[in-house]
Amino acid sequence: MESGPPRHSLAESGALWFAVSVVGSVGGGWLARGAVSSPTVVTGAATAGDWARLVAGLASIFLAGVAAWKLARAGLYSWLLPLAAVNLLLLQPGRAGDLRTWRLEWGVMGLAWTLAAVLVFARLLRRSDELERRLHLEGASFALAFGVLAAVVYALFENRLPELRGAWVAVALLVAWWAGYLVTARRYRWRA
Amino acid sequence: MKNRLRVLRAERDWSQAELADQLSVSRQTVNAIENERYDPSLPLAFTIAKLFRLRIEDVFTPDA
Repeated sequence: MESGPPRHSLAESGALWFAVSVVGSVGGGWLARGAVSSPTVVTGAATAGDWARLVAGLASIFLAGVAAWKLARAGLYSWLLPLAAVNLLLLQPGRAGDLRTWRLEWGVMGLAWTLAAVLVFARLLRRSDELERRLHLEGASFALAFGVLAAVVYALFENRLPELRGAWVAVALLVAWWAGYLVTARRYRWRA
Repeated sequence: MKNRLRVLRAERDWSQAELADQLSVSRQTVNAIENERYDPSLPLAFTIAKLFRLRIEDVFTPDA
């Protein structure tokens, strides 16, 4: 009868779905951005190639969403934190970047997805078991403490450091939350 | 807090996963309680005691 820490295969641990989701969102974002910022689209003469890239990009983003849904269905909520960090860093929702067309649509869509992701994550956490909620509470507390400390350190060297961007702050907090979660999980689940 | 969860579970020949299913928690939670790394909430402690048809103090005892 088992008593040690649970052992998982790569797929059961969630690492595989995490990788699929990262590749899907990064690849999809790159393809879709390339399609909508293509010179032929800008001049109003989109080619079949532009449409193909757009469809492939959206399909890839859909695949990334399915992989994230698989993680959520398996109750592997902690993987959603680094996934959100990767997506924030690479896709920068709400920021149109060098797009010359559809800037507003792209920005609003990104913000809507971000808000939806936060609401879904909060709902998932409310449905998880009490230890999982405690792990996330301690992880988020660690991230908050880290954020305050980092902000004070940044303020000290503000004149010599590059301008801080909102996406970097959000990514740092998410990574700190995940790190706090992993440290706390190890403390509760593994016999010393 | 000390507990007899591992002994009670072994008496019934249940795996951690089976006990976790009956308590609607994860196997990690059962493992953490058995290893006395995590003290369950009062509602979960009552649910555990009810499942084993025992009083809560027959399952959990405070540290001396």
